[in-house]
Amino acid sequence: MSIKTENGASRQAPRRLNAEAFLRPETTLIAVILAIGIATAFRNPNFLNVGNLTDIARAAVIYFVMACGASLLMIGGGLDFSVGSVFTLGGITAAWLMAHAGLSWPFAIAVGLLVGTLAGYANSQVIARLHVPPIIATLGTFFIFTGLCVQITGGQDIVPLPKDFQRLGQGSVLGVPFVVIYAVVIGFIAWFVLEHTPFGVEVRAVGGNRKAAVANGLKVKRIETVLYMLGGFTASLAGIIYAARVGSGQVSAGGSGVTLSVVTAVLIGGISLLGGLGSITGVAVGAILLSTIDNALIVAAVPPQYNTIVVGVILIAAVAIDHVRRERLYRVRR
Amino acid sequence: MSARSEKADGVPEQSGAPALALRRIGKAFGQVKALARVDLAAYPGEIHFIVGDNGAGKSTTLKILSGIYQADEGEVLIHQQPVHMRDASEAHRHGIAVVHQDLALVECLDVATNMALGAIPRRGRFMLDRARMERDAAEVLANLKIRVGSVRTQIGLLSGGERQIVAIARAVRMNLPIILLDEPTAALGVRETAHVGDILDELRRQGKTVICISHDLEFVFAHADRITVMRLGNSVATLMRRNTTRDEVVGMITGTIEALDPERAGAA
Repeated sequence: MSIKTENGASRQAPRRLNAEAFLRPETTLIAVILAIGIATAFRNPNFLNVGNLTDIARAAVIYFVMACGASLLMIGGGLDFSVGSVFTLGGITAAWLMAHAGLSWPFAIAVGLLVGTLAGYANSQVIARLHVPPIIATLGTFFIFTGLCVQITGGQDIVPLPKDFQRLGQGSVLGVPFVVIYAVVIGFIAWFVLEHTPFGVEVRAVGGNRKAAVANGLKVKRIETVLYMLGGFTASLAGIIYAARVGSGQVSAGGSGVTLSVVTAVLIGGISLLGGLGSITGVAVGAILLSTIDNALIVAAVPPQYNTIVVGVILIAAVAIDHVRRERLYRVRR
Repeated sequence: MSARSEKADGVPEQSGAPALALRRIGKAFGQVKALARVDLAAYPGEIHFIVGDNGAGKSTTLKILSGIYQADEGEVLIHQQPVHMRDASEAHRHGIAVVHQDLALVECLDVATNMALGAIPRRGRFMLDRARMERDAAEVLANLKIRVGSVRTQIGLLSGGERQIVAIARAVRMNLPIILLDEPTAALGVRETAHVGDILDELRRQGKTVICISHDLEFVFAHADRITVMRLGNSVATLMRRNTTRDEVVGMITGTIEALDPERAGAA
């Protein structure tokens, strides 16, 4: 159904091929994961144990679930540094309601998710109404939410949590941990929303060129509010999954480390900080790469400082590639 | 015509009544008075050009017509009914399609998606109908004899002229009764400019109300029915093209001709 002209087709084809290759950062990331895997397996064959590979997947889940919301948000041109604290807030809220208010786990989870979503709403309103840039607004709320978590718990971890709730995080079916199944479902939904709904198209439009989106009559502020709420939702969901997995509401879980890991997974996965570009599959591979590095360096008995060095190098490389991608994708305006 | 344009076009077109009018519009940005007094009346089946020097208030006028700015004083009338548009989507609902000077295209999206922005086709309630989106875009481009490679080409890959044409095609695709264009030929060569002129002529034949800002007086005189001259935030005259000359229009733009002979103007 496309219109092709003799010169048009020949002119576009080679560029388009390059663009396609560059649009798929997954390819590069998978190559990096395989390289790390092979190198580690040579040093310690245990790396390839089913148990160890399952551990890698399980660790990637937490990053990935959070990254789903964070990716949509970043593709829409937003940024959320508070995810690490919303992660804790969601887990703690659900845990506190179960342990101290005697609420059944489905209600506790629902309230935990609601609190996370409201935290996202708060972020969007600080940005939209007080005109605070996203990076500062969410850094501010990061500290506020972290403080709230300590206030709620008095600094103590919340135990014990109901067995049924713990099974949600620790159980498995046919050897596949439940948490991996959650991640696949959440990832599928996020992918579907981004690639196959009008909302997903509008998110890319807002992130790609906000002024154009406004001029085309898109409800940009509403879209941005929804995106921050989705970011809060997935952050609290990840926090609740984590609480179920470890069997306690940990006030020290989350924090700035988790925020930075999620933002790193999203960027490594090929989401552009400038908005518009990126895919959920890329982010899934990015999250697996992060947890593979974590795991590989432990299994290969490499000193831990190398972990952060490697992550830093990969992050910089990923963003540098993003720049090259944009240059190749778009004509430079004269 | 689509359901939207029928709705927007609910009032039947009456020849002789303006489809879109501005009455005594004033607009200030802080201390700067961008528009002092602007009157304008644009009719169905006509191409109405707005000309004037840089800073005369042409783009501000167009942004008020398209709902992006709100006037401080005066009225916007659509089919003689006063309307208050708070954003671009309301202008769209009132039957107004706009081609902005900066084109308002999203570089990272393809041609078909850009052409559908603001009215994305759905399958069922939530699904994006990409096949229809691409079909619609290809059809509009083919009808307008526009060649930009594939409709899946990203806007970022197109040249300035190609982008301009896509932005115009998008406005035409909306099939709304009123079309506003801000400097549609600014980035175009001779052949492409002629092509845009053909598109405007075709819109006139279809009975659309076309309002166009342009610096290019040759283009203006080749296609205009009516010409409104703006100077220092005022609409100083509206002239029928057949009753005026380039010299007169240039004189009004620069201010060397001040007086307007209302009889010869024969317009609002």
